[in-house]
Amino acid sequence: MKYNALTRHYFEATAAAGILEGPGVGRGASGSRALGTWVQFDVAAARGRVVAARFLAFGCPHTIAISAWVAESAVGGVLEPSLPADIESLREQFAVPVEKLGRLLTVEDAWSAAVVAARALAGAPEG
Amino acid sequence: MYLDHAATTPVDPRVAAAMSRCLTADGVFGNPGSTAHDYGEAAGNLVETARLQVARAVGAEAADVIFTSGATEADNLAILGAAEYYRGAGRHVVTARTEHEAVLDTCRELERRGFEVTYLKPDRRGAIGVDQVEAALRSDTVLVSLMHVNNETGVIADIEAVAAACARRGVRLHVDAAQSVGKLALGFTRAGIDYLALSAHKAYGPKGVGALLVSRRRGAQLKPLQFGGGQERGLRSGTVPTHQVVGMGLAFEIAAASTAADVQRLTVLRDRLWAGLEAQGGALRNGAPELCVPHVLNVSFEGVEGESLLAAVSPFIAVSRGSACASAHGEPSYVLRALGRSDQLAQSSLRFSLGTPSTQQHVDAAIAAVGRALRHLRKLGGA
Repeated sequence: MKYNALTRHYFEATAAAGILEGPGVGRGASGSRALGTWVQFDVAAARGRVVAARFLAFGCPHTIAISAWVAESAVGGVLEPSLPADIESLREQFAVPVEKLGRLLTVEDAWSAAVVAARALAGAPEG
Repeated sequence: MYLDHAATTPVDPRVAAAMSRCLTADGVFGNPGSTAHDYGEAAGNLVETARLQVARAVGAEAADVIFTSGATEADNLAILGAAEYYRGAGRHVVTARTEHEAVLDTCRELERRGFEVTYLKPDRRGAIGVDQVEAALRSDTVLVSLMHVNNETGVIADIEAVAAACARRGVRLHVDAAQSVGKLALGFTRAGIDYLALSAHKAYGPKGVGALLVSRRRGAQLKPLQFGGGQERGLRSGTVPTHQVVGMGLAFEIAAASTAADVQRLTVLRDRLWAGLEAQGGALRNGAPELCVPHVLNVSFEGVEGESLLAAVSPFIAVSRGSACASAHGEPSYVLRALGRSDQLAQSSLRFSLGTPSTQQHVDAAIAAVGRALRHLRKLGGA
């Protein structure tokens, strides 16, 4: 399978890979390694904004690349469960085949779970 | 760096030169069926030389050789043609789950035509035992179809034992030997095989040509699948492409002459490759080493996803996940699943296949590329 330049870049240059530790870090995961796709995000937030994010991902290059992009792009933005870009826009930017749409939803679910966890730790209302 | 010789091989320059001499007006461009003039006769002579070269390479007689467009067509012709010819004697066929899709899809077509097919499951070594074949034979079995060398794992079948078992029961045997030439000595007549499918492009010949050997000595019969001209003993009508079969004949002659030396050299390289990959940790070899051809090494890697593994190594080495024909689907290899591998391990496998151009430097570079990919992906995956 061929991958576009953006996918290749984030698949190979994964500066945001890893985990965050410490109080106030929300962690969320989705998927299953046994089923081929698993994503985890750690999110640190302050005053309702993302100050740091890391990811781990087991999956195809699109899954890894988009997870890396999300972890990088979310920093500085508002702490919210939706991804920094909508699924259709990500699918186009990263040239994700339509049959892989479910894997993008796994990324979204993991991010959403991490944000919910971070909000809970901060005592902020969910939503 | 090309390590996918089980998918295809580059054409030997000597082969390409011989082929090019059969194309233009200053060469042997005649129709080999046009025996009324010198042009056709010259082409016909080259075709018969090629037929002899192919036959000699696999221990057959020239009259057994039916040229086709490749091994897929040869498999189709053997399986459909034999099953239909012997339909009156029974409608049961035996094959294995680990066969190439050219065989499996053709067997599914037989099922649509009212035949019953038994699909044998290999043991964990990847082998189909002759006892399994014997146990599957029935009074209405007309054909057994097994491959000589598995295209994904490189496991070699004991075709001579299977042929003997089939002969005892009066059942015809078809063997897909697309991966064999140049890597294994093969005695078509001595082994007692009825039909044998061959491919030129796996042995440094051109794509688009292959052959089905049909044993005249054993009286093997077929119903043809295509009509119009009666070429190739009436079993495969259509003008014989002189340049293609000349290329196949020369490629097979060269391969047969170099088999022993290549086997020794490739075995050393394959073992070095496995040692290097095993040292990375979490590497599981698919197919029992003592049963495998020297040029194929199939390995599953723990803790990584297969598509990402291939994407990570592909800038450095050309390898494949399973067969070239099946890898386009992106599904876990049905061959490795049949060997008992989990979906995840079947999906995270790479097939390395060495060839004449392969060197120790290629092998070392492959080990390094896979090592980098594994470290990167296992770190990302939290393994």
